[in-house]
Amino acid sequence: MRIGTKTTGAALAAVAVVAGAATAVATPTPSAEASNQGRVKNVIYLLGDGMGRTHVDAARLRYAGANGRLAMETMPVVGQNATYSVEKNSGQPGEPDFRPNYVTDSASAATAWASGVKTYNAALGVDAKGTVAPTVMELAKNAGYATGNVSTAEITDATPAGQMSHALARGCQGPTYSAAACQDLVITGSALPTSDVRVTPIADQIARNGTADVILGGGLSRFDAADEQALTSQGYAVLGSPATQTVATRADLQGASGQKVFGLFNKGNLTIEKYKRENPASAQAAEPSLPEMATKAIDLLKDRSAKGNGFYLQVEGALIDKRSHANDAAQTLEETKAFDDAVKVALDFAKKDGHTLVIVTADHECAGFNIIEKGTFTNAEAAAPPTNNDSGNPANNSTTLRTTGNVKDPARSAGPINGSGAGNVKNFAPATFRTADDPAGVQDGSPEASLWLTYLSGNHTGADVPIFGYGPSSEKVSGEIDNTDLFDIVGGALGVVR
Amino acid sequence: MTRWKPAALVLALVVLFGAGWVVATTTHGEGASAAPVAPRTARTALPGLVPAASADPGLISLASLHPAPGTVARAPGPFDDRFRLDGARLDGRSVRGTVTVTSDVSDLLELEVVAGFYDAEGRLLGTGRFVEHHEEGAGDEPHAAGGRPSEARAVSIPVPADLQGREVSAALGVTVLVNE
Repeated sequence: MRIGTKTTGAALAAVAVVAGAATAVATPTPSAEASNQGRVKNVIYLLGDGMGRTHVDAARLRYAGANGRLAMETMPVVGQNATYSVEKNSGQPGEPDFRPNYVTDSASAATAWASGVKTYNAALGVDAKGTVAPTVMELAKNAGYATGNVSTAEITDATPAGQMSHALARGCQGPTYSAAACQDLVITGSALPTSDVRVTPIADQIARNGTADVILGGGLSRFDAADEQALTSQGYAVLGSPATQTVATRADLQGASGQKVFGLFNKGNLTIEKYKRENPASAQAAEPSLPEMATKAIDLLKDRSAKGNGFYLQVEGALIDKRSHANDAAQTLEETKAFDDAVKVALDFAKKDGHTLVIVTADHECAGFNIIEKGTFTNAEAAAPPTNNDSGNPANNSTTLRTTGNVKDPARSAGPINGSGAGNVKNFAPATFRTADDPAGVQDGSPEASLWLTYLSGNHTGADVPIFGYGPSSEKVSGEIDNTDLFDIVGGALGVVR
Repeated sequence: MTRWKPAALVLALVVLFGAGWVVATTTHGEGASAAPVAPRTARTALPGLVPAASADPGLISLASLHPAPGTVARAPGPFDDRFRLDGARLDGRSVRGTVTVTSDVSDLLELEVVAGFYDAEGRLLGTGRFVEHHEEGAGDEPHAAGGRPSEARAVSIPVPADLQGREVSAALGVTVLVNE
């Protein structure tokens, strides 16, 4: 089509107007909370592994007091997130062969939000029948977003791996293939060839698929020299060295720059904050904290995405779950606080940016963490099961009638004690902690401390977990949602799922 | 003026549409309903990855060890900083020991221990293997009282039939360890 001079001039004017509008839309507005017009450019998804509602409550009382708020609790949108998984070879909800499993593990939960499908415990990036399901991080990467994945666990562990791998079994982490760890004949009938991604060690997948531009966490021993070569050939700045098993340090992280950064700071999981705080001269104290990693990841991704596309970042506080499994309230609280500090980093960025959706949630509750009244004891410490006082009432279906039992059994209760208490089989007792409201001089572990905490079990529970939202599209996490809804919410916000 | 106006208007509309598409594709979220969505695909072919041998993993270090007769050496592997090996002994029929995981254990998902058996000259004769694979929810989780998982595993690896009577020493190493 030939365009005359005058026509060209008019058209150019129109283009200029449109281009101006486009530029206005594409340029982040400082302090733009009021002017973000509902547009999402970036998504920061933060997950406290194993963090139930009472983990949040207890950390608030401990660090902020009854009238205080954690950073995540300042977020304007609050909801609840149902977390159940399904049995192997189950259909999806609503299908005739749907078979739920009420208590999820981290892998099936990670798959639920990353890929939008219910799957069996231990599966990553595949549905319950073994079909590969793309992840929102893969879709974001395909669409031109900068992507990041940060965790205090091994980066091959379920939550981070759920965005960057597809595996029949979460135990297939590497560095080498193992049939026992990687194959699942219940799903596939016969062993898959080792060329199939679903039985490829997760570390090998992460090092080669380029799903995340910024990868920060633990688990260096899962990676080897070939992985390092694969990473560098894709342009990653590799901090430390998988080839020599040299872990990266906080200083390495602070000096990192570039489009793609891979940094693992421990051969296994990162070290708990309490240990680092109490042992500042240790090698582990040179590991960066979760908020430090989150800060750096945002800086790198922000630079990476400066040309127009935004970024998608996942940040996991993994050690909340691991210390809850151990029934270690002291470390559970401190890890929850570290996670909340990372939330604050994300919120501070989002408030300045104006186009960032921040979501904070958990994959499941862990260990039935709870707060009991000061000076009381748990049913597990009672001499007998608790009395059902109302069992004589015909309207009550219960048949149990005990006149005694709800008294503390001194043989089964060691009294208030902090830490895991794993060495004392009699230790059913609450752990006690001073709070921000307690008078000076009240000590952790004493009966005078006002925060009395207990655990129901050493494993995950089926309780819903809290979810908090800030920024454009955050209203979608209000109310009761399912963990698979997060795939559509995050993917929809990024424009990669419809 | 009157002759170019309709053409210019049409062109401007075309440009507006085009530019609007550009905006939509670079503007995500609520306002992006018209944006093309990337195909829902996962990357399942990984460049440069040589498929693993289907054989179970071994330890290169086994070949370089020459444990003294009557002893059980520890064969270096990728997870040496995550476990302790106690009570290792060779009893004529098997090599035994206890692997205690020293890092976080909320679930011990995978454990594979490989044994090397050596002759009197310190030559590696052959290997054996201990495999523990934990299926979540299968009820086989060796939890201690209170619901917490045990961190210790008693390991026993029989001397292969064709090596019996020839082995005088052994080595143990961990090839696979996944503890959540």
